[in-house]
Amino acid sequence: MTSGNLGLANTEPLFCVSGLSVEYDAAGGDLVHALRGVDLEIAAGQTVGVLGESGSGKSSLALSLMRLLPRNARITAGNIHHRGRNLAEFSAKQLREMRGAEVALISQEPALALNPVLPLGTQIIDVLKAHTSLKRAQLAERTGEMLRDVGFDDPERIMRAYPHQLSGGQRQRVAIAQALICRPQLLIADEPLSALDVATQAEIVELLQRLKRELNLAILFVTHNARVLSSLVDQAIVLREGEVLAQGSISKLQSSTDPYIQGLLFPERNIPAAAGPSKASRIAEYPLLQVRDLGKKFTQRHFLSRSKFTVQALEHVDLELQEGTTTAVLGRSGSGKSTLARCIAGFETADSGELMLKGRLLTPHSHNGSAHKGAEPHAVQMIFQDAATSLNPRLTARQIIAEPLEIARWKTELERATRTLELMAEVGLNADWSERLAGEFSGGQRQRLALARALAAEPKLLIMDEALSGLDMPRQAQMVRLLMDVQARHGLTYLYISHDLNFIALFAQEVVVMESSKIVEQLAPSRLNEGKHPATRALVEASERLHAPGVEVTA
Amino acid sequence: MIRYLARRAGHGAVMLLGVSILLFVLLQAAPGDFIADLKLNSQISAETLAGLRAEYGLDQPMPVRYWKWVESSAKGDFGYSFAYNTPASTLLWPRARNTLLLTVPAVLISWLIALPLGVLIAGNKSHWMDRIFSGGTSTLLALPDVLVALLALLIALKTGLFPVGGMTSASLDQQSTWQWLRDVSWHMVLPVAALVLGLLAMILRHVRSSVREVLDSSYMRAAEGHGLPRLKLLFRYALPAAANPLISLFGLSVAVLLSVSLLIEVVMGWPGIGPMLLEAILSRDLFVVIGAVLLSTAFLIAGNLLADILLYVCDPRIRMQS
Repeated sequence: MTSGNLGLANTEPLFCVSGLSVEYDAAGGDLVHALRGVDLEIAAGQTVGVLGESGSGKSSLALSLMRLLPRNARITAGNIHHRGRNLAEFSAKQLREMRGAEVALISQEPALALNPVLPLGTQIIDVLKAHTSLKRAQLAERTGEMLRDVGFDDPERIMRAYPHQLSGGQRQRVAIAQALICRPQLLIADEPLSALDVATQAEIVELLQRLKRELNLAILFVTHNARVLSSLVDQAIVLREGEVLAQGSISKLQSSTDPYIQGLLFPERNIPAAAGPSKASRIAEYPLLQVRDLGKKFTQRHFLSRSKFTVQALEHVDLELQEGTTTAVLGRSGSGKSTLARCIAGFETADSGELMLKGRLLTPHSHNGSAHKGAEPHAVQMIFQDAATSLNPRLTARQIIAEPLEIARWKTELERATRTLELMAEVGLNADWSERLAGEFSGGQRQRLALARALAAEPKLLIMDEALSGLDMPRQAQMVRLLMDVQARHGLTYLYISHDLNFIALFAQEVVVMESSKIVEQLAPSRLNEGKHPATRALVEASERLHAPGVEVTA
Repeated sequence: MIRYLARRAGHGAVMLLGVSILLFVLLQAAPGDFIADLKLNSQISAETLAGLRAEYGLDQPMPVRYWKWVESSAKGDFGYSFAYNTPASTLLWPRARNTLLLTVPAVLISWLIALPLGVLIAGNKSHWMDRIFSGGTSTLLALPDVLVALLALLIALKTGLFPVGGMTSASLDQQSTWQWLRDVSWHMVLPVAALVLGLLAMILRHVRSSVREVLDSSYMRAAEGHGLPRLKLLFRYALPAAANPLISLFGLSVAVLLSVSLLIEVVMGWPGIGPMLLEAILSRDLFVVIGAVLLSTAFLIAGNLLADILLYVCDPRIRMQS
């Protein structure tokens, strides 16, 4: 019945997928084939990886196994057997009994997987209640134990808390506790790491490894990030455009010569070292940007009382950016990276300190709240993490790119139109797409669009605030390559903000590590391993723990 | 919380003050006054008219009149009804009670029907249900409130099951409280039903669309993936998460209902604020108009205050912004 050679155990597999095809109704009556004839077998206690680019059908496969596909999707061919029973024939009751008790799901955004208005304890207890007939005291006890299992020292506090009171990593732990409370045999993890910083990623991977051992858990690990796979999975399948391109152990996949698999496993090979930026062309009189003793506090007022509390976001930050170079700012979530970026871009006004662009002061302490004013109002541009929300989805590509030109009253309309098309070509977007709406582009294309828009203003400094972390690894590599080309052509200076070390060694000349609102270490990327500060070491170690042998993404 | 409520109540008071000033200015700008109609009567001399005008204080400049009204309001009189020769408050309070008698049950019934029904319809995936739903609510929304009231009266007339208008039966003059209550509730059925019909479609649509939106969210899919029972998913997980816009709508629904109620009361002969306001406007009974409008404003403010409190109670993100 199956062609899968993944089955290791001689017992009946937990899941047996054969010839599965899934279609989506897309906007405008189009059909999207998310999966085409996929075969897969998952045995008890086995960990299977599903590797593929965004849009390769990974998530559709994960959701199909629980019959949780959205309403506009349907299975058109093939079938799924759970312990020998056909999933399509399950009644609503049988499905409910399977979900959560035998198969559980954790998904990409832990923030979005938990109900925002219910206490976390209630959300975990409800799962237990749905599948057992335990008494109230036992419910609370089991929940407390489970929370301790996933690494919380104070389960009572977590049970009373609401999702918004926890960090991303803590929420993912709670989601794991919720998924495993009924001791399922299979955990489907759909990109469980991509919203977390690298140190938290390493913690979650360790947790999953431990739980897998302790509970004899089978895991279906869905990801675009090959490096986390080898430390977790026995076998992996590679999906491309809904089809299984290859399957086998990671080492077998590594020996594949297929460019798609190579792109997933070795994304950095897409970045030719030769295309690196010209070392700071000439020593200028001033560095492009000088940041001196920058400080920023945020004051929050309680909703119902007058007491305030202050969060120190930046403290005595000094930084110099040389023209034509790339400086990477690394740090965990909440370390002040983004505030630094926003202060330099002029979205926030620093409380103290000064910013100098080419030796000229950028209006300090201006309280107008707008971006910097001055001789070169557009010299600093910024690209945000999520192009889906930072670009107006109702504007066309042309409108988005031309807007900065129109604001600057740049030349004539005809020249603006020509320039728009040039910019699209520069970032590798097909000029025929200029009238498409921003919402119709894929994640990677949208980020290119954001780059084109930033370039339209002819900036000197481009700030990228986690601009790549929403993309899958191959697309991140393509984007880095594009950024390096653009930099070489225009002599741009980059400030690249990131929570992981991906591509840093290839991309940046200088690394700045931030922790609790301060810059704690500054060094060349090649010397990251020699970093002395604990924050630097934590980043490097977390990255090494995730680092698969042979998968060379990190520095 | 107390401080917050006090602040909101303070805002409410300022708003009432603003509305009263605006009313004075607008009514001043409108042509004619209570005396104007008497001019048509040739038997009343110009001196008498001037005397009346002086007696009512209509000859004085507006700020002075406003101040006198504020003084009288402070005493609880809220000005003076020209037509009935009594302090406006003696007219306003019973009428306000009667209006509340209609609107409070109507708001409660509408929400008690709309919440479970809306949630169930949102959770139902059949296209047929959707079609019936949008057809039904569209029809209800398109029906003018007057027509609904008239239809209700027609039913009462044809079947004889319900009284045709009014609030009490004339035949029962001497009656116990119990009899009075029964009589009034019997009279209430049709006007309340008309009000509920006027409000239900709007609330239902909002409940369905906000719950539907929440049902599409990833945390609902996650909860479904944990195998929770369907009704628990809908009512315990989806509804509280969808509640915020609905609670705001609750405040708004009070306002909508008040304006619908004014109309229904007139058509169905319910002695609430509606008919009194209409009469007072026609006869330019200045202070009664002001009093009635201010009462409606006060109800509205109270409804929104209630919505704010509910929001505070229901949403941990608002409750714990600390």
